[in-house]
Order: sequence, then structure tokens, then C-alpha cells
Amino acid sequence: MIAGYAVLLSFLFLLIILNICIGSVSIPLKEVAGALFGGSSDSTVYHIVRDIRIPRLSAAAILGGALAVSGLLLQTFFHNPIAGPYVLGVSSAAKLFVALTLIFSLRFGMITDSWGMILAAFLGSMVSMLFILFVASRVRSMSILIICGVMIGYICSAVTDIAVTFADDSNIVNLHSWSLGSFSGISRENDLVAAIVVAFSLAFAFLLSKPMNAYLIGEIYASNLGVNIKRFRVFLVLLSGLLSSCVTAFAGPVSFVGIAVPHLMRNVFKTEKPVVMIPACFFGGALFCLLSDLIARSLFAPAELSISTVTSVLGAPVVIWILFSRAAGRER
Amino acid sequence: MDKVIIELAGLSVGYGENIIIRDIELKLKKGSVVSLIGANGSGKSTLLKTVFGELKPLKGNVLLEGRPLSEIDKSELSKRIAILMTDRFKSGFMTCREIVELGRYPYTGFLGRLSGDDDRAVEDALEKLRISALSDRLFNRLSDGQRQLVMLARAICQEPEVLIMDEPTSFLDINYKLELMKIVKKLSEGGITVIMSLHELELAKEISDLVVCIEGGRVVHTGAPSEIFSESTIGEIFHIDSFGILKKYLFG
Repeated sequence: MIAGYAVLLSFLFLLIILNICIGSVSIPLKEVAGALFGGSSDSTVYHIVRDIRIPRLSAAAILGGALAVSGLLLQTFFHNPIAGPYVLGVSSAAKLFVALTLIFSLRFGMITDSWGMILAAFLGSMVSMLFILFVASRVRSMSILIICGVMIGYICSAVTDIAVTFADDSNIVNLHSWSLGSFSGISRENDLVAAIVVAFSLAFAFLLSKPMNAYLIGEIYASNLGVNIKRFRVFLVLLSGLLSSCVTAFAGPVSFVGIAVPHLMRNVFKTEKPVVMIPACFFGGALFCLLSDLIARSLFAPAELSISTVTSVLGAPVVIWILFSRAAGRER
Repeated sequence: MDKVIIELAGLSVGYGENIIIRDIELKLKKGSVVSLIGANGSGKSTLLKTVFGELKPLKGNVLLEGRPLSEIDKSELSKRIAILMTDRFKSGFMTCREIVELGRYPYTGFLGRLSGDDDRAVEDALEKLRISALSDRLFNRLSDGQRQLVMLARAICQEPEVLIMDEPTSFLDINYKLELMKIVKKLSEGGITVIMSLHELELAKEISDLVVCIEGGRVVHTGAPSEIFSESTIGEIFHIDSFGILKKYLFG
């Protein structure tokens, strides 16, 4: 387990360095050190490192980690490894609410701050979550639930597209790239707010790891062991919603991280224990998104891919892998 | 041995408005083995779930040493009643030991860390059921019989006074059935009250101190196995008129 964390953290460190150095302008490591610890605060390198690359990589790390943990919580809730904020439509509903909030506030000349964006995203994710829970209470089949989630995703994305198309403000250009998913343009203030919300949710989730562990063997056993099932389930939904809405508020919808990373971490650490999995998913999610963002902005530089393009290519095969191994497991 | 541990007082069980078994009056003695028998769908599981507090009584009460379950705090209850149900779950990378350790849930503190005592209880339970060798194996790689023993070890290290089991012998081959019954006997000798539903009448006859027969939404007979397993009673419960094979099996 310790070896697992060591490998994870070394890769994380490596990717942080790469994310600082690589870009439309390559910066050698020596100059990075100079910019960070030396005095020359007015050089271009200093500006690029401090004001562009570090805020962006912080966002990728914090939000990527948040997304993976959000997925883990939803998978615990549904007892299913294919649950995640993106496939259940939670991210898209959050996106819709944020887009509408931005468009309306711009029209009335107001500016929505980071907290407002998170709040809007959170409301959106709770609305879609309530719908999903309503469906879940009616049908037992997880496949139907996932299909419903994907459909909610399409509907919300369509409505967002319509809203963005007809919104008349020039700022909408930014809105468009955000609505596809991107870590660019995230300010240090955004980062700080995201870090606060994510740290709080993560700590709370970590405190839930004991009941989460019991919940793995089924509700009836967990309840007999003393878990207050209703309260526990509410916590899971609220926390996963909070984590994923933080991501959507600042980076737009980011696909598949919530499913792929927990699955990869389970296979790296060979465990289901939430005490191990929650931190592992956070670091793994950070790693996954740093790598994806690096690819997104450097593969066809100076043109940028949307983050979801990359996470889909990397993450969707993992989902197929899960489906295949489950089907194989059933035959055994 | 004569102390009443669980009393069902005017108890009706079911879901929502729908009563499945009504007006049950029953006193269960500490350390006894109680078997519920009845056809499929007669409500045995529903009754068991009500006895350990998963379902609320529709009428009447379940009393644990004279106190209604609803008045007993959840964490206290979890140290007194353990269960073994038929529900399956996806165990993924969980090892047998990790599953047995969950039985210590009511005793562990913050984040579920096990103390020395907890570790000992886990090891004792594994040894008692002679499955220490399975400890580090993945749960989902085991046979049904082995899984059942692991889940039972989990219930035992919960250190309950009452053990409730729903169809513990289904899916098991004859060796595991006998093994399980031996364990039940041992547990009851250690003062644990065992309440279970059973399909196998011959096992119920062999092991129980008290047999409770459920039929048509009521408890129709309760008594020692010798009283219950008369031809007429069994025929009545299972609606069998000509039950030759069964008769031969049970009565020689």
C-alpha cells in the first residue's frame, strides 16, 4: 500500500514539473526554479509560471482528484463501479445551471463569483440526482439508470447549447470553451475556493470511510452493524454532488474520470477499503487530469483540445474494460 | 437457560399496509435454537427482519429482555443481535479476513481501526469455524459453503447474544449443512440464542429446541420437534396429502 502511494506521488510530482515546463513556450527547469525562488518578478517566464501554468495545474490536480472521489462515492452509493457524475448526468445538469446563471447575471450586469458558480452547479447536480434517485426507486436495473443518466446528460447539454447560442454577450466565447470542459482560464481565486470546498468535502468523505466499508457488504448488514443508512446515503449524495459541482463550476464537464480512476486505483491497490481508496482516488484523479491536461494543451499546440476529449480517449476504454470483466465474471 | 431473551408480543409483520403474519405470541429462551418452518413465501424472512429491527412491527412489539427494539439504541442493538442473510453483494478485492473484520464494526472507533482485542476476536472466530486458512483469499473466489462460513464468522465476532439466520443452509452441500449445524449447536451451548428459517425439516428436527410453524399468515404450531413432527402437522403446513418420501425420511 505504501509502495502504491509512493509510486502515485512520484508520478504526480513528475507531472507537476512537466506541466510547468511544457507548453507553447518551453521553459527549462533551471529557469522555473529561478522564476519561483529567484527575485526577477517581472520576467515573462515568471509571469507564465506563476500566473498561467501553476493556477492551471493546481486546478487540474484539485478538480481531477475531486472528480475521482465523487465517482467513488457514487459507486459506493449504487453498489456499482459504472456509476459516476458524468454518466449519471449530474455533471451536465450542473453545467446547465452554471451556464444559465452566468448568462442571466451577465445580462443584468452582475458578476457571479466562485461561490455563486459552485452553488449554481450544486443545485443543478442535486436536481439531476433527485431525478436519478427517483428512477432508482422505481427500477432495479442499473443499466436503465445509466441510460437515464446519459439521456439527462444529452438533454442538459442541448439546452446549454441553445442558451449559449442565443446569449448575446461577447463573454460567451469563454462560456463556449468552458461548456466543453477546460482547465484554462482558471484564476488563482477560483483555485483557492475550489481547494477550500474540495478539502472540506474530502475530509468529510474520509470520516465516512468506516460506514462506507460496512456498506460494501450490503445495506442490510451495514444497518445491522449500526450504520444509520438513511443519513449515510444523504451524506454520500451531498458530498459527491459538492465535489463534482466544484469541478463543473470551474472546468465544465469532465468525462469518465469519476469511473476510470477509482477502477484503476482498485486494481493498483488491490483493495476496496475506503480508508485507502479515498486518498488513492484523489491522488489518482489529480494524476489523471494533469496528464490529460498536458496532452490537451501540448499535443496540437498552440491549438488546444478540450479536456473531455482527452479524458474520454483515456477513460472510456477503462469503462469497456469494467464491462467486459464483469461479463466474464458472471460466466465464471 | 430459562431466561426469556426475545419476546414477540402480539406481533404482526409485513410491508406497509400488507400484513404477512399476524398476532404472533412467542417467548424465546436464552441459548435456545429456534427454527421457523413454513412454505416459500410464508413470511419467514419478513418475520426475521422484524425481529432484528430491519422492519418495523406493523402491530405489537419485539422485546429484547423486556425492552421494545424501538427503544434500544442502534449501536447497542448491533452488539446484541447479529445476522446472516441470503443477500449477495459484490465483494471485489475484499478478502475473507476483511469481511470478518467488519463484524467488529460496533466495537471499533474512529475510521474503523482494529484494536488488539478486535484482532483476537477475528482470529478466534476464524479458528472456531476452522477457516483461518481462507483468511487472505478473495471472498468472491470461494465456494458458497465457504462464503457462508465466512459470513457466519463475521456474525460471531460481532459477539451477539442473538444470531438470526435466514435460510443458512440453502446452496450448501450436505457436508457444509452438517458443519453449520454443528456450529449452531456449539453457539447455543455458549449461550447464544439462534433463530433461523430452515427448509430442511430433518435438520430442524435434529437441531431445534423450539420449532415454529408458519402457515396462512399465522403461527399455527410451536413446540419441541417431537411434538411438531407428527404426520398431520407437517402435512398441514406444507399442504401435502401424500408425502410418502418425506414421511419415510422423517419417521423412518
